[in-house]
Amino acid sequence: MNKKNNLLNNKTKLRNGKNIFFIILAFAIVAIFYLAPTPEGLTHNGQTMIGILIMAAILWITEPISLAVTGLLVMIMQPLLYIRTPTQVFSSFGSNAVFFLIGAFIIAGAIEKHGLHKRIALRFLSFFEHNPRLFTFGIMLSCASLSFVMPEHGVAALFLPIIVSILIVMKIVPKQSNFGKISMLAVAYGCSIGSLGTLIGGARNIYAIDILQKAGQNVSFIEWMIYAMPVVFIALPVVWLILQFSFPIEISDISAAKREINKQVKQSGRMGKGEFTVLLILVLTIILWMAFSSTTYYGLAVIAVLGGVLLFLTKSITWKDVENRVPWGIILLYGGAITLGVGMQSEKLGGTGAGEWIAHVFLNIAGENPLLVILILIIFTAILTNIMSNIAAVAILLPLGLSIATTFTNISPVLASMIIALTGGLAFMFVISTPGNAIAYSSGYFSTRDLLKAGILANVLCIAIIFIIAIVYWMGVLQL
Amino acid sequence: MFKNILIPVSSEFYSKDVLHRGVFLAEKFKSSITLIYIIEEKTLDQTERLSDTYRTSYEMEETKNEIIKKQKLAAYSIIFDDAEYILKNKKIPFGEKIIEGEFSSVIKRELMKNDYDLIIMSYEKKCLLKYRVLEDVDVPIWVEAKGKGKSILAVCSNLAPNKKVPEISLKLSKALGWNLHMLYIVDVEDSVQVDENGIRSDKKPERDLVITGQNFVQEMKNKGVNIELVKGNLEKETAKSAEKINPNLVIVGREQKKKGVLGLPTKNVKRKIAETCPYSVLFVN
Repeated sequence: MNKKNNLLNNKTKLRNGKNIFFIILAFAIVAIFYLAPTPEGLTHNGQTMIGILIMAAILWITEPISLAVTGLLVMIMQPLLYIRTPTQVFSSFGSNAVFFLIGAFIIAGAIEKHGLHKRIALRFLSFFEHNPRLFTFGIMLSCASLSFVMPEHGVAALFLPIIVSILIVMKIVPKQSNFGKISMLAVAYGCSIGSLGTLIGGARNIYAIDILQKAGQNVSFIEWMIYAMPVVFIALPVVWLILQFSFPIEISDISAAKREINKQVKQSGRMGKGEFTVLLILVLTIILWMAFSSTTYYGLAVIAVLGGVLLFLTKSITWKDVENRVPWGIILLYGGAITLGVGMQSEKLGGTGAGEWIAHVFLNIAGENPLLVILILIIFTAILTNIMSNIAAVAILLPLGLSIATTFTNISPVLASMIIALTGGLAFMFVISTPGNAIAYSSGYFSTRDLLKAGILANVLCIAIIFIIAIVYWMGVLQL
Repeated sequence: MFKNILIPVSSEFYSKDVLHRGVFLAEKFKSSITLIYIIEEKTLDQTERLSDTYRTSYEMEETKNEIIKKQKLAAYSIIFDDAEYILKNKKIPFGEKIIEGEFSSVIKRELMKNDYDLIIMSYEKKCLLKYRVLEDVDVPIWVEAKGKGKSILAVCSNLAPNKKVPEISLKLSKALGWNLHMLYIVDVEDSVQVDENGIRSDKKPERDLVITGQNFVQEMKNKGVNIELVKGNLEKETAKSAEKINPNLVIVGREQKKKGVLGLPTKNVKRKIAETCPYSVLFVN
């Protein structure tokens, strides 16, 4: 027993030691940037802001403290080091996008509370129960479709028990069946790809919109969908084919799955009054987002909060439910990210100009070929999003991407933002890349190597898809 | 020889082969079998840690409970069901249970509670499991992998006491009717001699190690054992000989290797052998 305790103590000490090292390293970087002589073309504030950016990157990758706490740290470091005033910093946090997120989380909470998401998921799956291949495509498509209207991690958590129940009924042995592997990987990848499609799927999407708005560019809910949906509908079948190619399905009979889905549909019974009300409010909110979310009308946040308030008025949700289901941590992480983004922008936009300076250094090295710059941005974002939180990766790269874009006439800020925000959702390779992967992994049906094997291919092909869409569709057709 | 057999199955990895092997040995040695399904808390913790900022503690608890519920369902519907099928019409005392925890810690706790003579488990390096149990417990551990041969390769070396390996390999070879091949490896990367009590000597000249090895080889030959002496790296020579002999089982003792390439510590000799050797391995600690 003592030996065991010693081992645990040693492990804890080691982990604590590592954490302390990364925290000291992060602060040391800020100190070095604060004290070092400033190079030509960069202000002292800009230099310190770069230090804060690197500090945030270290803390978001190594996670010695919660991601949200790093967000708070990013906010307070700026006034502490006299880079920006507290009013400037906190006013950029009080944006439209933050309240859009709060509203969207309340709506998602109501959907979860009433089990509407499960009903939608089962209904979707029932269309694909004809053969095993089609069924795995159905899982991906269902996950992606639900990720259009609620956060991707919630969708992964919903699908985990549904798919595992089906696999168990089919006597599919964890890690030994390719059908089991594909089914669970389809959950992870379907959620990630679906989260690109609308502003609700991932907080990084609304972050991009917010940063763009602060730079004077507006993108509405429907415009985002027009830009992003082609990526979703090309990436979905391509990644599904990769899964089929990587893990050839060994079964042909899917009747047990059909029975289980029918059983679960029966168990969920008829749609209740509360569930119906939530569905109505959800549909209404989406219609309002699509029709009236541009700045000419109400913007995204007003409609999201209106949807949330309607849910309270119809007693579909209580404040207790909100406390249970709204992840305030992501809002704080988001707050840190947004102040970081604004701090990196040019001085005329209220920032320090650090982003522009890095952009010039980058362009001196990479040259001024826009295609090469776009490719580098995509590849770099894909790498970073696989080793750290998606929104944190986008928070670090988007200000730099925007600064690079402003120095090019061929790359617009909207184009740069789309590239980085969408690539930021392509976290396919590791369990740690996104909570959706971890949730699917916990089913036990695929190994870390399976995830890496399919993830590398999926990432490479999705990089190519985004690159081609950027050149042909965004730049060519839409003239972004 | 083996009265009570423990078969731990992790929620991270399951192979039906361990059940077949357990039943095979239980029939030979009239043993009882205890099957434990371990719900890996490491996976659950990791899911929670990664979801920390994105999901509320209420939602994470909900998901955790769902995962545990489904894993229990998988244990009953797949693993225990397989065991029941394999044990059908066989008079083998059998027990099963589900425990939440970390693989190695659960096994160690189980060993403290009950007397087991053998652990049979499968090994899968493509998961998050840490197989500390290979180094930490005194009970023999049989790591099952599908082998086609009908022989045993017993590995002795300058890095182990070489007491239990000859004893168990001779007994097993007799009981199972499998041919026994023994190998004495002089590990040139770690030139010490481990005595009968498991204590490492100071560094010794290679010549002395070879002489000790030759004496051991002679002793075994006198007992009628087919034995060979080789020089080289313990893990590599084991894998090389196994490939040549194509055994059903490789038996390895309490090897205490301290140094690997460039003098860096090699802590996980057993894990390395289990990873590189495509045959079943019995670690006799």
